[in-house]
Order: sequence, then C-alpha cells, then structure tokens
Amino acid sequence: MPQKLHELGLNEAINLVRSGEVRLVEVVEDYIDWIEKIDKEVKAYLTCNFESALIRAREIDSKSQKGRLAGAVVALKDNIVTKGVRTTCGSRILEHFIPPYNAAVVEKLEDEDAIIIGKTNLDEFAMGSSTENSAFFTTRNPWDLSRVPGGSSGGSAAAVAAREAAAALGSETGGSVRQPAAFCGLVGLKPTYGRVSRYGLVAFASSLDQIGPLARNVRDCALVSSVIFGFDRRDSTSANLPIPDFMAGLELPLDKKQIGILDEDSLSEVNEEVLANYKKAIQLLTGLGFKLTSLSFPTWRYALPCYYIIAPSEASSNLARYDGVRYGFRADSSDLSDMYIKTRTLGFGPEVKRRILVGTFALSSGYYDAYYARAARARRAIAREFQSAFRQVDFILTPTTPEPAFKLGEKQDPLSMYRQDYFTVTANLAGIPGLSLPSGLTSKGLPLGLQLLGPAFSELELFKLAFLLEKTFDFKNNIDGITTVREEEV
Amino acid sequence: MLTTGRLPIIVVMKSDVNYLSRLANLKLTEEEERQLPAQLDKIIDWVGQLAQLEIEAEEAEGENFTPVDFALRLEPDEPGQSLPLAEVLAMAPEKEGDFFKVPRVLTGK
Repeated sequence: MPQKLHELGLNEAINLVRSGEVRLVEVVEDYIDWIEKIDKEVKAYLTCNFESALIRAREIDSKSQKGRLAGAVVALKDNIVTKGVRTTCGSRILEHFIPPYNAAVVEKLEDEDAIIIGKTNLDEFAMGSSTENSAFFTTRNPWDLSRVPGGSSGGSAAAVAAREAAAALGSETGGSVRQPAAFCGLVGLKPTYGRVSRYGLVAFASSLDQIGPLARNVRDCALVSSVIFGFDRRDSTSANLPIPDFMAGLELPLDKKQIGILDEDSLSEVNEEVLANYKKAIQLLTGLGFKLTSLSFPTWRYALPCYYIIAPSEASSNLARYDGVRYGFRADSSDLSDMYIKTRTLGFGPEVKRRILVGTFALSSGYYDAYYARAARARRAIAREFQSAFRQVDFILTPTTPEPAFKLGEKQDPLSMYRQDYFTVTANLAGIPGLSLPSGLTSKGLPLGLQLLGPAFSELELFKLAFLLEKTFDFKNNIDGITTVREEEV
Repeated sequence: MLTTGRLPIIVVMKSDVNYLSRLANLKLTEEEERQLPAQLDKIIDWVGQLAQLEIEAEEAEGENFTPVDFALRLEPDEPGQSLPLAEVLAMAPEKEGDFFKVPRVLTGK
C-alpha cells in the first residue's frame, strides 16, 4: 500500500477490508502505532481500547459476512457509555467509572463491525467550546498545536483530523460537534433531534442533546449516519421514522435550490476572514444555480441567552444524580449531607459548577417565570421562525463559527466562550439538523467551516448539498505540520 | 398581543450564591466565593436580555416544548428485565450485602 493504513478514508478502508484485500488487524495495528506516536502531542484520547480492538479485529477478519462498517476504526466521545470501558465525561466525578452497559450507538456500530479504538477527551460533561474544561488535560488542534480543537467534542475532532481515527462520534447540546468540526477541517453533523438514540449518552440537557458524527468527508459522514440513526424504544424522544438511503441518494441531483442567508445585522460580530469566506460561498452557490435570499431573523440574537438559560437549567437537574451514593467519586465525609456536598464540590470543575448555579438560579422560586419559563417560550418563538423561514427557502447557510480556532487559554471570560456558539445553538433549540463543511483556510492556515441548516429530518438534502459543495471547495485536509513532521522523526 | 418586559436588576451577592449552592449541594471555596458573584452577575445579566424579545400570544401559551413535533410515546406497563443486581452494585463506593452503604443520615447535632 503506498499510503499508510491509518491515512485511508473511512469508505476506502471499509472497501479494502470487506473485499479481503487488507486484513482489519493490520489496519488496527497501524492505528495503534500512529496513536502511540502522535497522541502525546494531540492528546485526543482519554482511554485507549487497543487490546480488545485487536481481539475484535481478528474475529471480524475470520467472518465471511462482514458488517457495513468492517474496516472502520472509530473513536467515541467519552460521554457515550461503553460497557466495561471507562467512561469519564471528562470529569473527576466519573474518573474511574466503568459503565455496565453499551449506548445504543455503540451497539449499532459494533453490530456493523466497526472497531472502537478509544474514548476521546471533552469539556467536562460536554460544557464548553474548547475542550479546555476537561478535568484531565487539554486537547490540541492538529492544525496548530497551540490552538484549541473546539469543544465540547474536541477530542473526537482532533482524533479524526490527526488520523488517529477514521471517523468519530461526538455529541451536541449547543454546537459541540459542528464547531470542533469547523475548527479541525472536518464534516460534522448534528442530526434532527430524535434521529439518534440518546440511550447511553450521558445527559447534559435532555431536550437539546444529540449524538453526531465527525468525518473527513461528506460520504464518510453519511455512512456513519446511516448506521447510527434509527428508532430506539429505550429513548422516549426517539423518532420512529424511516431513514433515507443516504449512500444511494448522495449523488443524485438536488432539486431544492432556495437558500436563505443571514443579513448584515446578524454578521456584525464575525471575524473578517470568516465573513469573506461566507461571501465567497454565496457567490459560488449563485454561480451553481442556487437562488439566495437574505433572511431577516429577528429571534436569532436571542438564541444564545435562551440557550444559556435552558441548558444550564436542564443540566442542574441532570447532574443532581452525581452524589457519590451509587457510583463515581465519593468524598470522605461524616454524614450523608456532608457526603453529597463534598463529593460534588470536589468532583465537579468550575464551569460545571457555574452552569449548575445559573440553572439553579433560573429554576428557583421567584425567578422561574422571568428566566426559565420565558426562555422556554422564546425557544418556541425561535423554532416558529425557522418553520416560517423553511416555507420560503430549502436551506439556510451561515458560517459555523464567528472566528477560527483560537489559542489555548485565550478565552478566559465565560461569556467570550459562550459567544462561540452564536451560529450553532439555534439548531439545537429548534431541533433541526445542521451540518458543518470545511470551506477553506485562513491566512494562518486554519480551517473555516460553513454551516448548512435544513428543516427537521432533511439530512439527505443536507448531505446532497454538502456533497456538491465539497467538490467545489476541494478542501484538502492533509495537515502538513503534524503528519509529515512526525513521520520524519520516527 | 405582545408581551415584553424588563427583568428585575439582579445584583448577585455572596449570600445569593451561597443560597444557590446550598440548593445545588455544592460548597464554594473562598476563591469561588470571591469570584462567582461577579461572574454569575454578568451571566445572569447577559441572559436577561431575553426580556427584550417580544413574544406573540400563541408562544406565550405554556412553557412545555418538544424540539420536534412528535408526540411523546407511552410504553405499555409491562415489567421487563432490569440490570442484574451485581452489575448495579459493581461501581458502588461502599456496599453491604445488596445495599449501597452511605454515612449516617442524621448528624445528631
């Protein structure tokens, strides 16, 4: 093979393994080699699953009928439970927690013979936009190791970008798959709420959480989606709807041509290069025969405050279970009440505590109506505005992030971090799908992402549009610095 | 009919933060007690701008919201298999027989 096995794209690796040309064990061994060399720089992985990966690979190699993902080496964000494999949520409170069951997505991946190579780093309990809130260490952006990979699924994004996995699963509550995808030059999808079972996804904000794939191209992203999507009766919010055949449909012509773009007002706080890239994309789409309409979206600017009331409120409820009684860290204490307080105080990091307190405030007597109840109504208004927009247009196009990957330690003020989610939280609030596609590089060589939004359950159309744009952008996700420099050292 | 409003101006005091932490079963360090009131004040003020959003009467109906319009399913009330007890207790910080063991509930103070 002229190319190293860990550099193969997801679909390529699957074709080679399923056809018998390459043994899965060799693919896994190559990944292990590479991860052992590079991860001390990137720090994407919290837990590596090498031994069981090799055992499983040998089993799969001996099968005559292999699953749709045989050949795929994938990483999972460490808030997705894996039976017998440590799952920390990036928190000290679950530092030694070993789940007794697999998440639904894990079952689906393993049923199709994917290899789960390890669990990736994240902001603690998925709260953050840079992975700097992990209790253990900070992951670096493979494009520039002095910068963040984004968050909260930063480890998953960094792993795929650095070829430490062919694809990965992350999770979103406010943009945590799309934003790291944009920062790391990857395709990232937040499915429609209800498309992917949340059974086994550690809950942060249950009405917002969704698992989503990160991959190096649209085809790979679509393939992983086709495996993880689907009804699951164990998740009461799971959508019981058929899944289109993404792989067959991807290259078919797109007959939906109306695209909504944001007006100047909504773009005032955006980095110059991001704006230039966005305008270039608009011109390109016009040239390709799409009709672009400027939308005024008056509720958009309220999405962030709305989100930062709803998400912390739900989190303050969901994280109440971490009390040291049944699992996880337990502090030494003199009585039960003392145990709850000490365990949580020592076990949770500062951002988690901050959000729990904001949520507690918004739900507390005397403030509930003005904050939580109002935010819930605002959410409905935002969702209505999307519904009305999608009566006019088929897609909405925005930049994914207001700026490219920032430096480690740069965003000290919590609000400056929250503002990273400006373009992404709307989709989580409205429950609609969103895809981030790499659309170019900045003058400093950092990736930029373009976001495509569609109505609920329109993932096939999003994939089609993204596939078309991908050919036009021709984004090269080979990172010179990290892959070639390290090879020479070896 | 549009409803809009001015949210009360909140100045988050150390006592408020202590009250909230008690509700959340958290205890702040001295440094957190110093920093958090101002941080929370800023965050709460920032999210408070939501008051400026005009909400139509139809949106003002109730606060329950599901992100996608499908009815939440009800499951039939049939007992199934639960997690085996051994697995449930496997991660217990302390156990005794079939029970999770915790420190005394009453402090005797």
